[in-house]
Amino acid sequence: MRVFQRVVTAVFCVFVALPILWLLYAAFLPPEAVLNARLLPTGVSFANFKELAGTGVGRALVVSVLASGLTVAGQLVFGLGAAYAMRQGLKLLPLILLILALPTELLLVPLYRELQVFGMLDSLWVLFVPFLASPMVIFLLFQSLKRLPNDMLEAASLDGAGHFVIVSRIVAPLLRPELAAAGILGFAAHWNLVLYPKVMVSDKALWTVQVVLNDLLRNRPLDWGLLGAAALVTTLPILVLYVVFEKRLIEVFETNFK
Amino acid sequence: MTKRAYYLAAPALLVFALFILLPLLNVIRYAGWDWSGLSEPTRIGLQNFRQLLRDRDLGRSLLTTGIFMLMMLPSFLYLSRTIAIAIDGVKLERFIKALLFLPGLMTVAGSATAWYLLYNPNYGLITELTGLSLPWDYETWAALIYIVLFTLWQYTGYGVLVVSAALKGIPKGIKEAAQIDGATDAQVQRYIISPMLNPTMLFLTIIGSVFAIQSYTAVFLLTRGGPFGSTRVIGYYLYETAFEQLQLGYGAAMTLFVLVITLVVAAFQARLLSGRAA
Repeated sequence: MRVFQRVVTAVFCVFVALPILWLLYAAFLPPEAVLNARLLPTGVSFANFKELAGTGVGRALVVSVLASGLTVAGQLVFGLGAAYAMRQGLKLLPLILLILALPTELLLVPLYRELQVFGMLDSLWVLFVPFLASPMVIFLLFQSLKRLPNDMLEAASLDGAGHFVIVSRIVAPLLRPELAAAGILGFAAHWNLVLYPKVMVSDKALWTVQVVLNDLLRNRPLDWGLLGAAALVTTLPILVLYVVFEKRLIEVFETNFK
Repeated sequence: MTKRAYYLAAPALLVFALFILLPLLNVIRYAGWDWSGLSEPTRIGLQNFRQLLRDRDLGRSLLTTGIFMLMMLPSFLYLSRTIAIAIDGVKLERFIKALLFLPGLMTVAGSATAWYLLYNPNYGLITELTGLSLPWDYETWAALIYIVLFTLWQYTGYGVLVVSAALKGIPKGIKEAAQIDGATDAQVQRYIISPMLNPTMLFLTIIGSVFAIQSYTAVFLLTRGGPFGSTRVIGYYLYETAFEQLQLGYGAAMTLFVLVITLVVAAFQARLLSGRAA
């Protein structure tokens, strides 16, 4: 039994690693190697990345970083407020869980009309304002806030500190690991949106990296190297965050889902 | 004093009200429209709902979604559990967890590209190296399995983390006591660990169904609903109807229809979940 479980694990690990490794490899393949279908190492080449620069990925990166960054900032500030209110007794948990379980595709059509009426389509606003609060972030922060001892919060309020001060001066610093973890998950979730930005933004100047990548996948299906490089560049910001915070992220996950 | 703390929830609630609640209420109004998204809408009463009842593709895509979940959920639960147990306390545990969690954070489009480069039947590496003709392109059953595999690839790491966390919460003493009484490894797993993991598996079932429902982005990137509509899960069908065939009014009616189904399920799930989280 033990052996069988290990075999399943090993096979699955290979299955997970394979596409990632091949992606890394393809990104650095010299273009002529792909043409001649000679895939064994012929040296590292940055030609794909040079070519990529001409496809508008650079601009899309700026748009994406800006939109996802603003989104996460809002999600953490608003989320901390909501989680704190819940910690003080506001009964929001059922609502938060309900929203969490709501399939997002159901919002696509009605949101389109609403944002059209608001005049927000085809603007940077549309890329972050509707995402400023996240049920997942609120849930995570609330779970961690529950572990803070009551005395700590009460002592501060006896000293005359208002709720705003308690949240920003006491709670926020204590929850720094959780905020980092929730921030990364929120950033990744927003960074990964594909259909939403595609539908809401038609102006090429406001395309996010995911939309550009999808466009490349449709229009240059034979260009392995270019596609690999594009996928790598668009995943890189998340990858860096993950490598830096991997241990903390997994810890926070494990304590909050016990 | 505490009451005033409630105001701190206001900004988040305002965002939810404006961008989740309001659109979901408005969808009732939009469902009575004939509207392409570009032109101004005209009211057509219940016509969209009549179309809904006659729409065979809708029935088919609900069925596809059901089959997809039936394939994806049990494998997701089985893999999460098996792998979490197999790596518990092993030297490579941290590395394996980090590796398995990685696809969940990778961009979907990036992941789809990685899969495309490897498994595409026309230009992928596997076909190039082995000459095998991979069947996702023309076999309807294979295409759906392809999406299931991709979804498992993306999310199993998450499941492993959750089960692993629960395993760490089981006191060592219980296992040791059983072993002293002569229980084998298999017996410990079956009679002690499994029952204690039940609440976690319930949680994962719910999360897994959310992941499964969200697979429409993967469908969009990998197969576009094809071949022959075999991977057209409900989320993708909705997107296609509204934004590719430009029938947003009909799309709104469909949204309402799916929403009613989902709300019933979601209310049930929320009850289960808040029972667990409390």
